Amino acid sequence: MSNIAHKIGPLAKCVLQNSRLNLWSTLTQYRFYPRPTSFPDYFQNPIFRKEDQAKLIENNELARIAAVPVKPPASYETSSVYHDPLVSKLINHVMKMGNKKLARNLVEKSFENIKRIQIERYHLASTPEEKAKIILDPKDILYKAIENSKPLLQLLPIKRGGITYQVPGPITDKRSLFLAIKWLLEATNDKERTVHFPEQFAWELLDAANNTGKVVKRKQDLHRQCEANRAYAHYRWQ
Amino acid sequence: MLSRNIRFLARRYSQAVTFRTTECSPSQHNENQIGLFYSLNNDLCKQLFAHGGLPKSYMKQTKTFTETTLMVRLPALEIMNCIKATDFDKPAIRYLLYGEIGAGKSLTLAHLLHYAYEDGYLIVHVPWVSEWLRRVPRHKEMSNSQTHEGFVDLPLDAAAWLLHFKMQNQAHLKKGDLKISKEYVWSKREKTPQGAPLAELVEHGITRVKYSCDVVDALVNEIKILSNSKQCKTFVAIDGFNTFLYPLTRLRTPTKKKVAPEEVTLTTSFMELTKNDWVNGVIVLTADQLGVPPEHQESHLPKYLLYKKGFEHIDPFVPVEVGRYSEREFFSCASYYRDRLWLRGPPETEGELKLASACNPYKFMEMCAPL
Repeated sequence: MSNIAHKIGPLAKCVLQNSRLNLWSTLTQYRFYPRPTSFPDYFQNPIFRKEDQAKLIENNELARIAAVPVKPPASYETSSVYHDPLVSKLINHVMKMGNKKLARNLVEKSFENIKRIQIERYHLASTPEEKAKIILDPKDILYKAIENSKPLLQLLPIKRGGITYQVPGPITDKRSLFLAIKWLLEATNDKERTVHFPEQFAWELLDAANNTGKVVKRKQDLHRQCEANRAYAHYRWQ
Repeated sequence: MLSRNIRFLARRYSQAVTFRTTECSPSQHNENQIGLFYSLNNDLCKQLFAHGGLPKSYMKQTKTFTETTLMVRLPALEIMNCIKATDFDKPAIRYLLYGEIGAGKSLTLAHLLHYAYEDGYLIVHVPWVSEWLRRVPRHKEMSNSQTHEGFVDLPLDAAAWLLHFKMQNQAHLKKGDLKISKEYVWSKREKTPQGAPLAELVEHGITRVKYSCDVVDALVNEIKILSNSKQCKTFVAIDGFNTFLYPLTRLRTPTKKKVAPEEVTLTTSFMELTKNDWVNGVIVLTADQLGVPPEHQESHLPKYLLYKKGFEHIDPFVPVEVGRYSEREFFSCASYYRDRLWLRGPPETEGELKLASACNPYKFMEMCAPL
């Protein structure tokens, strides 16, 4: 069986290539397998959100992919109302040694802390305009914080004439997201031993959402460095 | 973003779900108000629950919500109706609240305490028995009892409780018409004469911490005598009563001997108080799984938690189950959380949370936290 799959594999790939390209553009979410899985690569990623399924039905694409084999969704890929791809990504970054339960707990606790801080601010604010300005949804805060801490450029070490230059260049969206989350977590872990992770993480997120704090400063430092090294930019292609 | 907030606001206010009742006095609550929240006065809250009584997680909520509210629920109403119909010449009736973890036993007790306070009872309230017998900080103050051979005193805990008692019964103690019936001699120089007001006895326990356990013992006796002679009616509330009956405490004497709860003087006093050999009183107890170590939390039913000994000790008692939220209570609670900005999101969230939390009040509160 596996032999046949092997032979068919490349063929099926070619056939599916076209449809897959279309699918890629419509689907933002897909399950990323870090290691080779038992699924041959013509298996499609599952579409588990109700909105996405509705979109498929709307575009009459359901019939086309109905017969295509699909990978099973992971346990965290749910159609629940409060599922959020960025949050589950963040949880995976917080996780250590596969202890996902703890990681999820920590992230949820920090969301709770954010909420408490923001609600308190909301009650303290005197005028309705001030109140309207306060973001109460912790997920919105997270999105804003990550948006604010994403770098736009990166420095690549490139060796020219025996000297390694830090060459500024464009950054992919995925890597900038990775860096933003990494920096947020590094800033959080740089804390007193007595302060707990959820507390500190809440403060870092709030700071970053407010466009202040350690992480935003780090991003600006990187941008400044890129600006300073612009003379080396041509090493990227020479 | 802003428009979405406005949309939610509009939806929130358009919902005609009532979740609040303006009736603040528990004695006026009736079946029509089940599932509705009533708010407690801040001063009263401080007076009744300053030294414990509301669970810690709930205290946190009251800070975030900027108010203290309690939900009117059936178990509390049932007990209140029973109390109203009680003949106070008969021995005190014992009610036992039981239920799952997080079902709201302590908050039901808080509601009943408010009722008792309004009705002018003398309140004897133990906020959480495990605090005495199971929670062992690094330096737990313990000493061998001077008066009872082979018993252990917890002087600091007893003094703290006396302070709590004093806070809750300010009105009664200030009036000074409660007199003690006999002379108590504490040491060569210290004694409390016969006919002294009850407040003096309490004050003595607070200032002379060494004797606080004996003072608690004396106080219990005096309260019984006062109630028997109809000078006051007494409301006894003990949260986590089953901890008194678990075979072992976590206390160790300096010689590393394990202490059984019967060997603690506070236990004997309050066990004495929960007997029904006195009249003109109400006794409300709770049996809580959290009061015993995790390996003995298999069931929340009274017979399991109280053991045979405890079950026989309080035998003619009225068991009252505190259950999970009903449909109506759940949605009222959800709209209350929405009003207090605690819960956000599309309306389908409620249905999902209802399923995920299985209508358990505490779990529901926890699950709303990160949303």
